[in-house]
Amino acid sequence: MLIGIDVGGTFTDGVLLTGTKVAATVKRPTDNTDLKGTIMEVLDRLMAGQDSSRVTRVVLSTTLVTNMLATGNLPATALLLLPGPGLPLEVYQLFPNTFFLPGSIDFRGRVTEPVVPAEVESAADQIAARGIEKVAIAAKFSNRNSELERQVRDIINRRHPNLEVVLGSDIAGQLNFRRRLVTAYFSVMTQAVWERFIGEIAFALASRGIRAEVDILKADGGTMPLEVSGQRPCETVFSGPAASTMGAVALASNPRNSVIIDIGGTTSDISLLIDGEPLYASKGAKIQGHYTHIKAFSVCSLPLGGDSPLSVGDGEVRIGKTRLGEAACFGGLAPTVTDAFNQLYGLQIGDPGLSRQAVTVLADQAGMEAGVLCSRVENLVIAQLQQAITDMFREWEEEPAYRVWEVIHGRKFDFHEIVGIGAASAAIVPALARSMQVECTIPDFAAVANALGACVARPTLTVKVHIDTQNGYWVTDQEGRGGKVKTGTKMQMEEALNLARRNLKELALDRHMQDYADEAEFFLQEQFNVIRGWSTSGKIFDVGVQIAPGLIKDYQGVKR
Amino acid sequence: MKQTGLIFFPAFDWAISPTHPEREERLLYTRDQLFEEGVMDLPQIREYKSGLATHKDIARVHFCVPNVEAQITEAHLVSAGSALVIADAVMNQEIKNGFALVRPPGHHAMTVAHGNRGFCNINNEAIMVEYLRKQYGLRKIAIVDTDVHHGDGTQEIFWHDPDILFISFHQDGRTLYPGSGFTDELGGPQAYGTTINIPLPPNTNDAGIHYVLDHLVMPLLEEFEPELIVNSAGQDNHYSDPLANMAFSAQGYAVLNQKLAPDIAVLEGGYSVETALPYVNLGIIMAMAGIDYSNLREPDYSAARLAKKSVSQDYFDQIIKTQMANFRGREAKIQDYRRRFPDDYAYSQQIYYDTDGISEQQMVRLQMCGDCPGYRTIQSSARHSGWENYEVFCISVPMYSCPKCQEEGQRIYDEMIGKPGPFDYIYLQDRAHDVYRSMNTGRKVETVL
Ligand SMILES: [Zn+2]
Ligand SMILES: [Zn+2]
Repeated sequence: MLIGIDVGGTFTDGVLLTGTKVAATVKRPTDNTDLKGTIMEVLDRLMAGQDSSRVTRVVLSTTLVTNMLATGNLPATALLLLPGPGLPLEVYQLFPNTFFLPGSIDFRGRVTEPVVPAEVESAADQIAARGIEKVAIAAKFSNRNSELERQVRDIINRRHPNLEVVLGSDIAGQLNFRRRLVTAYFSVMTQAVWERFIGEIAFALASRGIRAEVDILKADGGTMPLEVSGQRPCETVFSGPAASTMGAVALASNPRNSVIIDIGGTTSDISLLIDGEPLYASKGAKIQGHYTHIKAFSVCSLPLGGDSPLSVGDGEVRIGKTRLGEAACFGGLAPTVTDAFNQLYGLQIGDPGLSRQAVTVLADQAGMEAGVLCSRVENLVIAQLQQAITDMFREWEEEPAYRVWEVIHGRKFDFHEIVGIGAASAAIVPALARSMQVECTIPDFAAVANALGACVARPTLTVKVHIDTQNGYWVTDQEGRGGKVKTGTKMQMEEALNLARRNLKELALDRHMQDYADEAEFFLQEQFNVIRGWSTSGKIFDVGVQIAPGLIKDYQGVKR
Repeated sequence: MKQTGLIFFPAFDWAISPTHPEREERLLYTRDQLFEEGVMDLPQIREYKSGLATHKDIARVHFCVPNVEAQITEAHLVSAGSALVIADAVMNQEIKNGFALVRPPGHHAMTVAHGNRGFCNINNEAIMVEYLRKQYGLRKIAIVDTDVHHGDGTQEIFWHDPDILFISFHQDGRTLYPGSGFTDELGGPQAYGTTINIPLPPNTNDAGIHYVLDHLVMPLLEEFEPELIVNSAGQDNHYSDPLANMAFSAQGYAVLNQKLAPDIAVLEGGYSVETALPYVNLGIIMAMAGIDYSNLREPDYSAARLAKKSVSQDYFDQIIKTQMANFRGREAKIQDYRRRFPDDYAYSQQIYYDTDGISEQQMVRLQMCGDCPGYRTIQSSARHSGWENYEVFCISVPMYSCPKCQEEGQRIYDEMIGKPGPFDYIYLQDRAHDVYRSMNTGRKVETVL
């Protein structure tokens, strides 16, 4: 028995899956002031009459951190930065309470300027004096050598042991100092609230006799165990669109190159599957306008949905952005996009007579035929969606490439189907697919695809390893893990791959996802010979291995 | 705010040979630095994807022997193509300026291409310049070659072109490859004075180069009034470069680019892959994007050490005086040439391809047209590294040529391909009509691009 719950901004969806059967679905308004309450209400409704001891997995996709970061009611947090030479400091002056400290590392992980303890102490004293309790420390190139960040942390711990500290190298070890400091900053800022929340969830589940594994959905479409998520609150942002995309993957039969559209009441979220894999945003998730190191799906959100209200003015039909209520066919007062499609194609959604009535009244106001009005609405909707889809294709096709091979072979997105999910997709997506001359798939249970996606998403884990045999070390982008290697030129790619795989396995074990470690695949294999003079003095390897987003082993599809 | 365009193309899967300076590793640490700084995320920067130049784009500049395919790899198409992408973006006003941070380089490649010279097969800047003219109708363009080596390829390509001001400053040719670029190399008889060389003594530092920039390069540009300025941006003037002996710093390069304010910069040489390139490239980007670069410095930078490396002020003052005079006297000198050579002007030259060990013999004949820069013919012979010997005849008709020269060029081509002769290939480069013909005389097969 599996449970998936996706908390959205307006509604929270839940689904209970037993084998291939959707045993229950629940949709409740979200109480943004009490997410735990909302989740438990949905859970209780799903479990009504069920035996809680049979639940084997609960997956939650929540908006807690997203809301927290959006509403701005956040605890004061300090940033200690060691930027070294390069861009001007103002580029990194993104947040209040930022302190710049001496100390620098270069791209080979060499310390080129030491930490000055007195300056760290002075900054720590100021932080404490300001009553700030949370500190993020980030150094440029700390992903190649985390030593300076750790030194700074140790000094702070000694002087002000009560300060809560997060290191950039632990939380965001990929290249890009700016994204690292942003990620570390928001992580330490949200960590305590998130930890309290997951504690409450764990308690509430236990008190209902649910002793199942509890996982949290991440922005990358994978899950992590509740207890692991405590250290990585920011990875839970934007899990909603990820839930929908994974739901589409679960419901559509073997999608390859597909466009997934989740059309809800007032928004449409578009994502892409390329060769069966969801496309990631090339620059990571954006929080408060800043890029981060959080892997997230590339999602284009349009303020356009089934409940978007229609109006007329100057003989033109307009589609409003603000929801006024339900579609007329469901008893709403004003005609919406859904009503126009309902009328145009005789879709039998809700009460079609009410759709007809509402659009006719509006058409009379505009002095046009109801059919003409509906066609114009269709054109507007299709044009907007089509434009957004082609823009996404182009953006993907025009992503920079750094190898001759990639540029020569180019990229072309040849897609063959649109998968529509979300409550309003059945009305709109078939017409869109016809217009783009591709197949249309509206799977069963499309309305709760998001909750289902959360329910059956498998864990994900990505590890990048950087090995420098000239300087005799390796580092990963996870938790500052690293070690030594033999210097010289002997190491071959095979050994580098093994090192990466070993790291992934160990991390997977730590994070209780070892069942999927064998399915990890390499997505990056770079090797450079370091030539000094005219001979090879070492090698640099960059290897990436990941448990990619996918579906849990137990999932066998759903049947009506 | 208009952005600065950037194409970063490190060609991580291309090298001349595994241990050659022009190898995969060359821009690896530049990648690290730019990506770690988050340069691509800056609001001032717009990153573009590399493009591909067409064979026609290459034939607009080069006579590739025997054909374009034989002289290039795919990497060259990407490198040159990326410069074209930046050029388009500048011309379409998507960006205020742009930097093609690409390899392989090109500034030693000359009009006729038998092989690789100084790590170059085809000339990225020249291909871009002729493309800009053809696509956007530009005419007057200045190319400032800031590589430590003399840009002899670019110089040769525009030697007879009065609308291209080519300025190269470099380490004195008596002490460095390719051994040319002296002050008396001033351009052909119809384009005298628009080739300006500024040989600099070894150890010239930031102060020295900036002095020359302020008192010679910038005044020349001001008087020439180009529609566009291109920086042929080598980075081997850096104090740590292993192939040269200058004392320029990353800050120095940034200042240079701020002053020069090129519309387009294209990467050339620079082989201090760790100590210079990451910082110099960052400096150029920051200067072009108008970002404060005062926090930029190499880890081993020592202002005091570099300041000691000074060169006599007299040397700079003398060269400034000489070259300003040469430039300002160019019209008179061209009139003089026209009087002395009323019909045509012929000369022979020998060109050495160091990378491939090829020696080429050329006979050049320039039509001394009174209405245009004049078409020219080049007889060229060379034994390639595979030991094939090639005798070719090339006709080059400039973009802004008069109808008479255009007709003449076509007539010579028709005549040459109609009769037996010693040539394996006969080429017509008709830039005015943007048609590029090549006749394989042995197999009687004509290729038209
Ligand atoms: Zn050079
Ligand atoms: Zn003429």
